[in-house]
Amino acid sequence: MQKYEKLEKIGEGTYGTVFKAKNRETQEIVALKRVRLDDDDEGVPSSALREICLLKELKHKNIVRLHDVLHSDKKLTLVFEHCDQDLKKYFDSLNGEIDPDIVKSFLFQLLRGLEFCHSRNVLHRDLKPQNLLINKNGELKLADFGLARAFGIPVRCYSAEVVTLWYRPPDVLFGAKLYNTSIDMWSAGCIFAELANAGRPLFPGSDVEDQVKRIFKLLGTPTEETWPGMTSLPDYKSFPLYQPTMTLSQVCPKLSSKGRDLLQRLLICSPAVRMSAEDAMSHSYFSDLSPSIRNV
Amino acid sequence: MAGNFWQSAHYQQWLLDSQDLIQERRPDLEVLSEEEYQKIMIFFSNFIQQLGETLKLRQQVIATATTFLKRFYARNSLRCIDPLLLAPTSVFLASKVEEFGVISNSRLISTCQTVVKNKFSYAYTTEFPYRTTHILECEFYLLESMDCCLIVYQPYRPLVQYMQDLGGEGEVLQLAWRIVNDSLRTDVCLLFPPYEIALACIHMACVVHQKDCKQWFAELNTDLDRIMEITRYILNLYELWKTYDERKEIQSLLQKMPKPQTQPGPR
Repeated sequence: MQKYEKLEKIGEGTYGTVFKAKNRETQEIVALKRVRLDDDDEGVPSSALREICLLKELKHKNIVRLHDVLHSDKKLTLVFEHCDQDLKKYFDSLNGEIDPDIVKSFLFQLLRGLEFCHSRNVLHRDLKPQNLLINKNGELKLADFGLARAFGIPVRCYSAEVVTLWYRPPDVLFGAKLYNTSIDMWSAGCIFAELANAGRPLFPGSDVEDQVKRIFKLLGTPTEETWPGMTSLPDYKSFPLYQPTMTLSQVCPKLSSKGRDLLQRLLICSPAVRMSAEDAMSHSYFSDLSPSIRNV
Repeated sequence: MAGNFWQSAHYQQWLLDSQDLIQERRPDLEVLSEEEYQKIMIFFSNFIQQLGETLKLRQQVIATATTFLKRFYARNSLRCIDPLLLAPTSVFLASKVEEFGVISNSRLISTCQTVVKNKFSYAYTTEFPYRTTHILECEFYLLESMDCCLIVYQPYRPLVQYMQDLGGEGEVLQLAWRIVNDSLRTDVCLLFPPYEIALACIHMACVVHQKDCKQWFAELNTDLDRIMEITRYILNLYELWKTYDERKEIQSLLQKMPKPQTQPGPR
C-alpha cells in the first residue's frame, strides 16, 4: 500500500470505496477500489471475485485494466487504470450539445469492447453511462464487471439503491432467465440514443411496468408474430397494442439516417433478431469513422 | 466460463514446466520422497472430494478447488500453510468463483469437523482445529499465491465434446470422466492444457473398452507424444494405488510432513 499515495475519494462502488491515487515510483495515476470485508461469513465478496476473475482474462483497450490486487492487513485493494470521468458525468458537462463525431466514436468503442467480451463468452449485463469510463484522450472503457451475475440480475444491490431498469431489454423485464449477448446490445442501443441526445435517457422508466410501457409506446407493442416466445416468458403481462406514434427521427433528431438505421436494429424487442456487436461495427454508419479511432 | 483458453490466464500463467515444478518442491523434497509427497497430495485431494460431496457441490467446483490447492503448493512449501486448512479454503473460494454460491462458513467448518471425524479418523485423532477467521485469512494468501488467476479450464467440457465427435457410447464416456477425476491426483492439471488431458483419458477409456479409435486419433491434429506422457502420469497413479494403503500409511506421513512453525491457537 505504501506504493500508492491516496489523493481523493472518487466514489462508492458496488462493494467498496474508490480512491484516486498516485504510484509513488512511476507517478502513474490509478484508481484504488477498496473491497469491504464487513460480512464475516462471505470472505472476499463474490462480486469482487467476479470482477477480478473476468478482468484477469479481459485485456483490451476498451475495457478498464486491472493492474494489480493488493493484500494488506485484512484488506483487499484492486488497482485499476484511472479514467477522468464516467459517461454520466460527461453528459452533465455538455449543456445539451454533443459533436456527432464524438457520438460515433464513443458508440464504436463501446461496441468494440462488447465484441471482445462477447467473443470470450462474457456478458456485462449491467451497461449504463455510469459504467462507461472516459479519459482525456477520448477513449471509452467498459467498467464495473462486479454487479453482473451469472444467473439473473439483482433488482436491488446491497445498498438501498435500486439498480436502474432504464437499459434493460424487454425480454429480461419479462423475466427471461436464459439470455445471451443480446442483453448488452439492447443497453448499447439505449446508450446510443442517449449519446445522440447529449445525455437525455431514452426510456427513463420508474418501475418494470412503466419501463415496458415506454418501450412499447415508442417501438409498438410486439406480438407473438414479431417476437415468437414473448407470451411464454415467466413474467409476461399483456399490454395494449400501442402503435408507434413517434419515429426515431423525432426521438433522435440530430442523428443521421444511417445512425437511425443502426439504432433501429439494436432496439429490437425480440432478442434473437437484435443486432450483434460484430455486425453493428461494420454498419455503414461507421463508414466515415476516423481511422485514428478505428485503428487504435 | 467458456472463454478462449489460448488467451486465458490459465494458459499464459498456469501451465508449468515439470522441471520447474520439481525445483519449486525442492525444500519439501528434502524431507519427503517424491512418492511420499504425492501420497500427501492424494490425501488432500481425497479430503476435498469428500468435503465437496458432503456439501453436494458439482464435480466442476471440486476440480477447481483441487486445482487451487495444487497451484498453491506449486509455489509454496507445505510448511507455509497446513493443507488441512488450505483444502477447505480452496473449496470455499472455488464455490464462489464457479458461481455455486457462497458456502456459509459455519456450515463449512462443521462439515470439516464431521468429515474429519467420520471419514478420516484414520488420519487425524484430534478434531478439526480451524475456525472461520483462519479460513478468511487463508483465502487472502491463496488469492495472492495464484496471482488472482481464478478461472480454471477443466477437461470435462472438451471431454464431452470430443466424445460426441467420436460417437462414444455411454460406458466409454463414463470411464473417461472417472479417469479425469483420478487425474486430479496427479500433476497433469498443472502441466498440460485441459483438452490434452481429456484426449488422454478418452484414449485410456477406449483401450479398456476395446473401442477402436486409432483412425480418429490419427486424424486429430495433436501431438500424440504429449497424450502418452499424460497417460504415463495417470498409469503411475494406478500403479501406486495397487500397493498403497492410505489408512495404514497416512498418519506417519502427516507426522513427517513439514509444518508451519506455529500451530493455531484458540481465537
